[in-house]
Amino acid sequence: MSFSPLVDRLLESFRVLPGVGPKTAQRMALHLLERDRDGGRRLAEIMTRALEEVGYCRRCRTLTEEPVCGLCRSVRRDERLLCVVESPADMLAIEDAGGYLGQYFVLHGHLSPLDGIGPEDIGLDQLGERLAEGGIEELILATNPTVEGEATAHYIAAQLEDSSIRLSRLAYGVPMGGELEYVDGGTLSRAFNGRLPFSSE
Amino acid sequence: MQPQPAFLLHKQPYRETSALVELLTLELGRIRAVAQGVQRPSSRSRSRLQPFAPLHVTWTGEGDLKRLRLMEMHGSAAMLVGEGLLCGFYANELLTRALPLQFPVRDVFAYYGALLNALPRPDARAPALRQLEYAVLEALDAEPRFTDTQGVSLDPQRHYVYRAELRSFEAQASPTSGSIDGRTLRLLAQGDWGAPGLAGPAKGIARAALAPLLGGKPLRSRELMQRLAARRRSKE
Repeated sequence: MSFSPLVDRLLESFRVLPGVGPKTAQRMALHLLERDRDGGRRLAEIMTRALEEVGYCRRCRTLTEEPVCGLCRSVRRDERLLCVVESPADMLAIEDAGGYLGQYFVLHGHLSPLDGIGPEDIGLDQLGERLAEGGIEELILATNPTVEGEATAHYIAAQLEDSSIRLSRLAYGVPMGGELEYVDGGTLSRAFNGRLPFSSE
Repeated sequence: MQPQPAFLLHKQPYRETSALVELLTLELGRIRAVAQGVQRPSSRSRSRLQPFAPLHVTWTGEGDLKRLRLMEMHGSAAMLVGEGLLCGFYANELLTRALPLQFPVRDVFAYYGALLNALPRPDARAPALRQLEYAVLEALDAEPRFTDTQGVSLDPQRHYVYRAELRSFEAQASPTSGSIDGRTLRLLAQGDWGAPGLAGPAKGIARAALAPLLGGKPLRSRELMQRLAARRRSKE
């Protein structure tokens, strides 16, 4: 037995979401149709609006429905610090961790020659323009510690070889509360090479 | 099956938590496999399954798409940064593009391992890359023959241009741009890739000989390196 065509299409549509298979899609669709039509209407409306209106911030390329996002407009953020991240989720993670008061630039990806992703696909021209405006003293390369993230950081750094902007890269470390025995070799050796001075204070 | 030495050449997310991977293995050359669950945040294999890290793997499946089973790090990963990292990408792109699936290439595997050790040292990169390229050409039976197009040995006094389709060198009436003198070619024929002054010609020949194996599309990692190099030159 199958549902009517429209219900079937609703089921099928839910499956665009990550982690949603046929069974979950069916539960979601039946829940909205049978128990929560109001919730469903709100969802449909807000989804349409968000998909229409949300774009990239003109300054940092994060997701926003405004031309320039709130964080970029904020006067409390330090304009001399710019942190380059791969995705809006990374930006959020750093914000949640707290302590960073500068601004961001979101690449929405990383350089990956084998997948055909080059510098123009991750907004590096725009980053160049932003840096050319001046006023930035330190560029924090917070791309992922993967080979692609490393290549991206290298490419950006090479572009800035003889500029006066200070470059930094996130340190490698062992996780808080972790045990050395279980840390993978690569992380451990990098953490070892990047060890910090320690005093009894 | 016994765990096999392998290197990860490329990884692509697949479904929710899995990845499609391409590996260079010792016994079976390049293989394609599904690595299930490696994209899960809690997966221990996630950080292990990285390019340029020596792995031990097992797999199941007879067809072209295998299922990766066990992965263990075997020794420490080469710490590649900067130029060396881009050269590593180039090697991976070259192997994924040029090698057929499941075609055993033991020499290529050995030279790839040697390359990873050489990449952190700037002066060791070019010779190691040339050796890998040459091993790929030999494995695919496309290496240059150091004779002229008639099969006659090369004259040290004359100038030649490499013709990939004939796998040999064409004598030129006079030196042209891109032509190489016979003396240099004779040195290259002895496998002397590291000798000073031979790096340029060796690179040119390797590139010309590889081009037919790569089809029409250029290698993206090479473009990336060239862009950085061009930028550096324009600043000087």
